Amino acid sequence: MGNQVVSHEAWLKARLELLAAEKELTRQRDALTRRRMAMPWERVAKSYQFDGPKGALALADLFDGRSQLILYHFMFGPDWEEGCTSCSFWADNFNGIAIHLNHRDVTLAAVSRAPLARIGAYKKRMGWSFPWVSSAGSDFNRDYSVSFTAEELQKPVFFNYEMRKLPSDADEWPGISVFCKDETGAIFHTYSCYLRGIDMVNGAYQFLDLVPKGRDEDGFDFSMEWLRRHDEYDER
Amino acid sequence: MTKHKTGTREEWLAARLPLLKAEKELTRRGDELAQRRQELPWVRVDKAYRFGTDEGSASLTDLFRGRSQLLVYHFMFGPDYKAGCATCSTIADGFDGFAVHLANHDVMLSAVSRAPLAKLQAYKKRMGWKFPWASAHGGDFNFDFNVSFTEEQQREGRIEYNYERGGHAMDATTQVPEPVAVNAAMAGTDAATYTRERPGMSAFVLEDGVVYHTYSTYARGLDGLWGMYQWLDRAPKGRNEEGVWWLRHDEYDKRKAR
Repeated sequence: MGNQVVSHEAWLKARLELLAAEKELTRQRDALTRRRMAMPWERVAKSYQFDGPKGALALADLFDGRSQLILYHFMFGPDWEEGCTSCSFWADNFNGIAIHLNHRDVTLAAVSRAPLARIGAYKKRMGWSFPWVSSAGSDFNRDYSVSFTAEELQKPVFFNYEMRKLPSDADEWPGISVFCKDETGAIFHTYSCYLRGIDMVNGAYQFLDLVPKGRDEDGFDFSMEWLRRHDEYDER
Repeated sequence: MTKHKTGTREEWLAARLPLLKAEKELTRRGDELAQRRQELPWVRVDKAYRFGTDEGSASLTDLFRGRSQLLVYHFMFGPDYKAGCATCSTIADGFDGFAVHLANHDVMLSAVSRAPLAKLQAYKKRMGWKFPWASAHGGDFNFDFNVSFTEEQQREGRIEYNYERGGHAMDATTQVPEPVAVNAAMAGTDAATYTRERPGMSAFVLEDGVVYHTYSTYARGLDGLWGMYQWLDRAPKGRNEEGVWWLRHDEYDKRKAR
């Protein structure tokens, strides 16, 4: 920090140059949305079973009467006591807007490998309302490249669309997978993204990108070291 | 059966990989712009603004609440609105959930509007939000940061919003675009009154007791901050909108969720 201090007129000159670049970025983002929408769809032939508060659910059921389904792959492994802190940050971002997506024919839900009872308890603790199902006992997480076995992690695995060696204890990963259901009930996988692919749906990071210190994570051992679950911060 | 192009896993991947490359380029470009924002010069704020807050009368410095950075969401809620802007309410539904994380990372996020504090408090309670929301009622703050305009400016076509004059759909005074008319009605006011308030985001920094203005963005500059749009941009149908489809989160039960 300690930036140059100038008159409003001098600031405006710098701001207008940046504005032109920002507008270009917005248009590039729009163009990528169009490319995503033009992606071919991949038929989902396999049947998956999920565990929801009212019992067993098929992938088709997760659409909840709508034609589009966005699943947030929430890191919460079978033996974990709590959901992942970073994923909880993402959930704090989308919990309040899922209702709006519902009115654009989109159901937004989370899916994790933890048993449903543990998911339910954690969801209650966090005060969230979005649907969240368990994929325990199903291949779903593995097929969508967000869960790996200890054996697989000994070698490079296909993650974020490339073969890479992940840390041997990193069995759960975050991501987003999107599905579409046509009028015959056929389900298609349209899109998945991982790692920084989920950056844009974290509004907090987009907000931090506007302030003088930016994301301000350079001084940490890992970028999100500062982060806590929303009920774990000291009152300030 | 769907008319959309379908393919095998291999065909899907063949399309996904070049898209991924383009997405990574966009992410890096976004990082570069964030870096450029951080390098912007600062403008010292000398004017003594006063705000109405839950804790009483406050200065701009007070809005930082002990942090060194302040983000102000210019929430459209004019003195004559009956309710806060429904569109602004959808961005607030996103940031209400994560403001706590920013507050623990040296950034205080606060909404500021021109309606009297009592109106803001009642609406905030109705919406169930927790973020701080200050009233700039009777002060110059909103006018100085180009999110409120006078009737005279509007009548004479002298509104400068988003760094240009007459460049925005909300500047129209005769043929009011339908989304503007719909939003005005949802705020319980007329189009002219509704559009004298505008949305935006301004950033400030506090250093050695002095407040500096560092950044402001308006119009589609807010697009990337709008959680619901970033999710819709990943859905097969995209934003899938013609006109105003959204309501406040407590108004949807009037309508079937589809």
